[in-house]
Amino acid sequence: MDDGSGRITVHDLTKQFGSVSAVAGLDLTVEPGGVTGFLGPNGSGKTTTLRMILGLVTPTSGEARINGMRYAELDAPGRVVGAVLEAQGFHPARSGRAHLRVAAAALGVPDRRVDEVLGLVGLADPAGRAVGGWSLGMKQRLALATALLGDPRVLVLDEPANGLDPEGIAWLREFLRGFARQGRTVLVSSHLLAEVEQGVDHLVVIDAGRCVYQGRLERLRGTGQARVLVRCPDPLRLAQALAAAGVVEIDTLHDGRLGVAGVDAARVGDVALAAGVAVHGLVEERVDLEQMFLQLVSEGRR
Amino acid sequence: MSVVGPALRAEWRRVVSTRLWWALLIPVVALAVLVNLFGSLLGEGLGDAGDLPVLPASIAFTLTLTAVFAAVYGTVAAAGEFRHRTVTTAYLTAGGRGRVLVGKLVAGGCVGVLYAVVAVTTGVVAGVLGQGAGRVPGTGALVGVAVVGVAVAALWGVLGAAVGVLLANQVGALVVLLVYLQVGELVLAAVMNNSGSAALARLTPYLPGNAGDVAIYDFPARALAGPDLADQVVEQLAGVTAPPPWWGALSVLAGWAALAAVLAWTVADRRDVT
Repeated sequence: MDDGSGRITVHDLTKQFGSVSAVAGLDLTVEPGGVTGFLGPNGSGKTTTLRMILGLVTPTSGEARINGMRYAELDAPGRVVGAVLEAQGFHPARSGRAHLRVAAAALGVPDRRVDEVLGLVGLADPAGRAVGGWSLGMKQRLALATALLGDPRVLVLDEPANGLDPEGIAWLREFLRGFARQGRTVLVSSHLLAEVEQGVDHLVVIDAGRCVYQGRLERLRGTGQARVLVRCPDPLRLAQALAAAGVVEIDTLHDGRLGVAGVDAARVGDVALAAGVAVHGLVEERVDLEQMFLQLVSEGRR
Repeated sequence: MSVVGPALRAEWRRVVSTRLWWALLIPVVALAVLVNLFGSLLGEGLGDAGDLPVLPASIAFTLTLTAVFAAVYGTVAAAGEFRHRTVTTAYLTAGGRGRVLVGKLVAGGCVGVLYAVVAVTTGVVAGVLGQGAGRVPGTGALVGVAVVGVAVAALWGVLGAAVGVLLANQVGALVVLLVYLQVGELVLAAVMNNSGSAALARLTPYLPGNAGDVAIYDFPARALAGPDLADQVVEQLAGVTAPPPWWGALSVLAGWAALAAVLAWTVADRRDVT
């Protein structure tokens, strides 16, 4: 039964393209009422996952459900889920309005909805012109207008910021937040954390087709472990001294500095003084989400 | 209707919002005018043309030439969804791939009907003008060839759309279609006719292109040569052995169209849209 929740659930989802495993046993849940960022490097399986959720790609195993149903089982899927996908094209000779009129007829929504969504995304003026001459940003707005035609409960967007100018990105962020505030569901993918960092409530990070993090954005910030970066002429002795003092999370950086985790700068300085090792510099590393993201991703690769 | 109604409405809007349908109508009109103008002049020149129903024959020849444009329309329009990547939106908005396929097949068939109706209409006008006297001989055969020709064009529109969905590559599908119809089937039929095997030769009218031609030539052949010699005339015109009657040939073409539609459905339903 269609539970009308707007929840997206993905369970043990797997897709093999020949010998390539695009998605490998992915589990995730997207709740309504917030914006969920779907993050991962290029080629990590984001697009394939979204297309499996939308019934465009058949999973090798596992399943994806919206409102508790598989996409193909939904009664009027176009009115439940709206999607903006990367490879979504437009016939270059068709006008923006003609494109929307085709989609409106297929969805069975009245034609006045076409002008409503055109106004909503700011395309009322160019709507009569052939899409072939449009900029990438305008086409992204048209794709969003198409997704909104059926007044869906759930929005799925694949890299929607591509081709948008900074103003457009800010507009989209506000739009998606407002959409989610109405109790609807937004799942938006990106390969750049900075792009979604400001606009999302939840985060799903995947790498190589596996989920490496799922939860609130703040929690990810909280788990970030700050390091102390130490410049010292005899890193080996300092490392031994630190280890003797019970500090074991020590890395050697590319530039020869030591990265010491789990302690503050004062403690490192004290240990160095007690061991008689000279210290030429001490820096406390700032917790950077981007770095957290890269760290998550590199852990996933191991 | 409620299940496919929205899909058909959407398909109608797709058809009329691009130029393809009337761009392909231009050669259809040009062929109809030329063939029937010269066909009727040729008939006049034969002297006893007054008794011979030449017009049904030249209309039939026109229809065998123009049916391919219905097929081309179906293929280009259907495969174009994949080329322009509009198929993603089509599938997402239609609520089922079957509805999109049905829309494409129906659109191909309707455009085929339009092409044949226009070909017959302009062909008759050109033919009557060419004969000058305003006589339309062989009215019964003319109506027969027109109805069968419309059906053949509709089936080719459906078949073309099915091939477009099946292959999903616009250039590839168009090349396959045209090479088969213009060269492939001629070679195949020639080989079968000259193989020395009577059974193989008798299969030639069951090839899709030949089946359409046989159906179209049936009425004018009987009007021109009488019931006894009609089959021989059809054999000559369509390049086949032992042709079935028009309804048999039409059923064969319908069978090919149904087969292509089933294949298109089977493949499209499983295809990953990436």
